[in-house]
Amino acid sequence: MDEKQLVRLAQDGSQEAFEALVGKYQSKVFSMAMSFIRNREAADDAAQEVFLKAYLALPKFHLKSEFGTWLYRIAINHIKDVLRKRGRAREVSLDDVRELSFVGENVLETAEAERETEVRKGLVHRMVQALPGKYRIILTLRDIQGLPYDEISRVLHLSPGTVDSRLHRARRMLRTKLTPHLRREGGSHEM
Amino acid sequence: MKCKKAEKWILRSLDGRLDERSREDLEEHLGVCPSCRKAAAEYRSMLALLREGREETPLPRFWERLEPRLKEEQKVVPLVLWERLALHAIPVFAALVVLAAGLFIFTPQTREVSQSEALLMENTNPFSETRRLFEEKRPEDKSMMLIFASLDDKPSVGRQSP
Repeated sequence: MDEKQLVRLAQDGSQEAFEALVGKYQSKVFSMAMSFIRNREAADDAAQEVFLKAYLALPKFHLKSEFGTWLYRIAINHIKDVLRKRGRAREVSLDDVRELSFVGENVLETAEAERETEVRKGLVHRMVQALPGKYRIILTLRDIQGLPYDEISRVLHLSPGTVDSRLHRARRMLRTKLTPHLRREGGSHEM
Repeated sequence: MKCKKAEKWILRSLDGRLDERSREDLEEHLGVCPSCRKAAAEYRSMLALLREGREETPLPRFWERLEPRLKEEQKVVPLVLWERLALHAIPVFAALVVLAAGLFIFTPQTREVSQSEALLMENTNPFSETRRLFEEKRPEDKSMMLIFASLDDKPSVGRQSP
């Protein structure tokens, strides 16, 4: 059964159809929430809320866009609300980063490569959180979620040119933020 | 090639959006520019780390936890369904209004007719009663008759208008 049929059935009240849609998108919505919120319980709760909102708004969805695009839009708006309620997204101070790098150094001496990757991932994600909102969103959608350019353009209501230039700027900003801290870890530029 | 342009092309290349010719030009530049080579390596690692978090799994029993919440919210859903039905009802209601207006305009209406009109419709001279009034000799009687005539209820008769 294709997605449009599932959406129509769900609109007519079929719980099974909605369950199938949830099954298809739960990981994507959760990952998106996770990449902004960085806390599994809070991200899971946000993902549940997103599906709840989508369920209630289903009768107003007229299939003018893809279900996924519509759902991502709900997710983005909800995550923005969550972050707003939690106060401004925590800026990563240099002290935070030094502490993280220091912990990473200790871990490098004793733990396995897996753990090392986790630490580096943590550093990168914390730096993403420190980017201004519009850059953080676009970088998350493209580089973490892997959404195609045209879908990002539809979800954020931006022209393809704006998506391109904003993403380029976001990546440059992230690299600029990351480079000095990585140098401090012993001169290696490889992340 | 300038390094600024090379940086743009590095990112396009990592996105798989660089054509073959531009890729060759970029490779040529990277061969002679250590700074851009370093940038390319850093971008490659950075994007790889970001992409690792792409498909995270939510906490277990996601649907089982969501389903009761949906059922709870279903109390609100009938209202939403009503809104949906209401959207369909709008054109039907508009059509009914137009129909009713048409019936009102084109259906013959009844209206009040004056006593004189009623008398004329009955082929009676409407001045027959007033003539007696004017023929009265005494002014007091004439005044009294005028007063009583004005107090009389004007009978109305329904008439079909075109």
